[in-house]
Amino acid sequence: MKLTVRRGGGIAGIVARTELDANVLPPPDAAVFTAEINRARMRELPDPPATSGRPDAQLYEISLEETGLLFSRHYTDDSLPEDVRTLLAWVDGRPERIESIEQ
Amino acid sequence: MLANLQNHCCGIAPPDLLARLAIEGDIHQREAAVRALATSAAIRSQRAVLGHLDRQLNLNIGKMIGFSVTPDRRLTVYDNQKKGRPFLPGVRMRGWGEPPAEDQAVNQAYDGSSATYEFYRDVLQRNSLDGSGMELVSSVHYGVAFDNAFWDGAQMVYGDGSGRIFQIGGLTRAVDVIAHELTHGVTEQTAGLVYSKQSGALNESFSDVFGSLVKQYSLKQTAAEADWLIGAGILVPQLGAALRSMSKPGTAYTGDRQPGHMDDYVDLPDNNDPRNDNGGVHINSGIPNHAFYLAATALGGSAWEKAGKIWYTTLTKHLHPNTQFSEAALATVAVAGELFSSTAQTAVRNAWLEVGVLS
Repeated sequence: MKLTVRRGGGIAGIVARTELDANVLPPPDAAVFTAEINRARMRELPDPPATSGRPDAQLYEISLEETGLLFSRHYTDDSLPEDVRTLLAWVDGRPERIESIEQ
Repeated sequence: MLANLQNHCCGIAPPDLLARLAIEGDIHQREAAVRALATSAAIRSQRAVLGHLDRQLNLNIGKMIGFSVTPDRRLTVYDNQKKGRPFLPGVRMRGWGEPPAEDQAVNQAYDGSSATYEFYRDVLQRNSLDGSGMELVSSVHYGVAFDNAFWDGAQMVYGDGSGRIFQIGGLTRAVDVIAHELTHGVTEQTAGLVYSKQSGALNESFSDVFGSLVKQYSLKQTAAEADWLIGAGILVPQLGAALRSMSKPGTAYTGDRQPGHMDDYVDLPDNNDPRNDNGGVHINSGIPNHAFYLAATALGGSAWEKAGKIWYTTLTKHLHPNTQFSEAALATVAVAGELFSSTAQTAVRNAWLEVGVLS
């Protein structure tokens, strides 16, 4: 299971990508990762209505790849659910994450 | 959930939920939520929260709850304490005329907002963002390692930066970035340019134009002396020197895709995908940005004296939410003739011709 987060928009318009693969985590941490993903309920909840249109709002695309399936959710800083924000904070705190800037 | 709250609103609801109810509920829910906010001892910076809602929702909250929420101050800076949206604006740190705080980000937001306020007042005879003395509210230390600064429709919000895109502490350092964001407030109050595709790129460009002019005015630079960079020195060095270059679009940082001519316009969908940037608003703004640079340098002297006044009059009196590049260009040409001379008009027209918007 791999999570890919793209953050764009903002004042810069630069897109930053963060990836975390459960396979590279120690098993206990992979279990926490799975639990955080489940708590975020991204599979069940559709994209929130587009509430952007705010100048320089941060835009998020969060993609989850598992057993050959891939789906993505889109949020703005306004619409980012609190559990998804918690998930992102957990991912951002993992040293195993891979970060890059998309050109 | 909103419906469930209607009968119980709003004694035990947390402030962020009340704020949401005040935004999303029906008129009765909104009134109840606002009254609850007004009497909640749990809310810090109560007047600021109410002022925020008052501005965002255009509610006459002061009348509803019996006191004025229009404070006697021009600007105030708050500390969000990394808590994010539910805690906006945060803890009050410095108000108008008060001595510097110990926090550098607070003082930078204060100084940048003050410089922007003074520019609009002294150069363009505009009393704050709404023309009626609206308080400039800023919150610093927004979220955790948040790589952005934005205008949320009611106030300025600055993250600390993560060290990945923005230098840590960089987002409050550049006066042109602060003026850029505040100018989004001016645009919202005037032309209301829709933040999508060409109208969004114009929205971005006007923010860059007045961001750069506030910086040039602060430094007393002529158009020829200015660096025409937006956000110089706030990106991490490995990314590049600045966010945007108005004189040489596409050269500010590694991966900068800004065009300087309509031949290179990047047609992207506006579909919430971060890679598409609301239909390329930060990409195609390079074209009107470059037109302004060309006009300002052709007109000579201080860019705010002629080019700035032409663009300001255009923004505040001649545009509408769906204005496209060519309509904006024609409006600036007409305004140049009204405010100055046929020579100025020619300089502005030539600028738009050079970037391929007019032919």
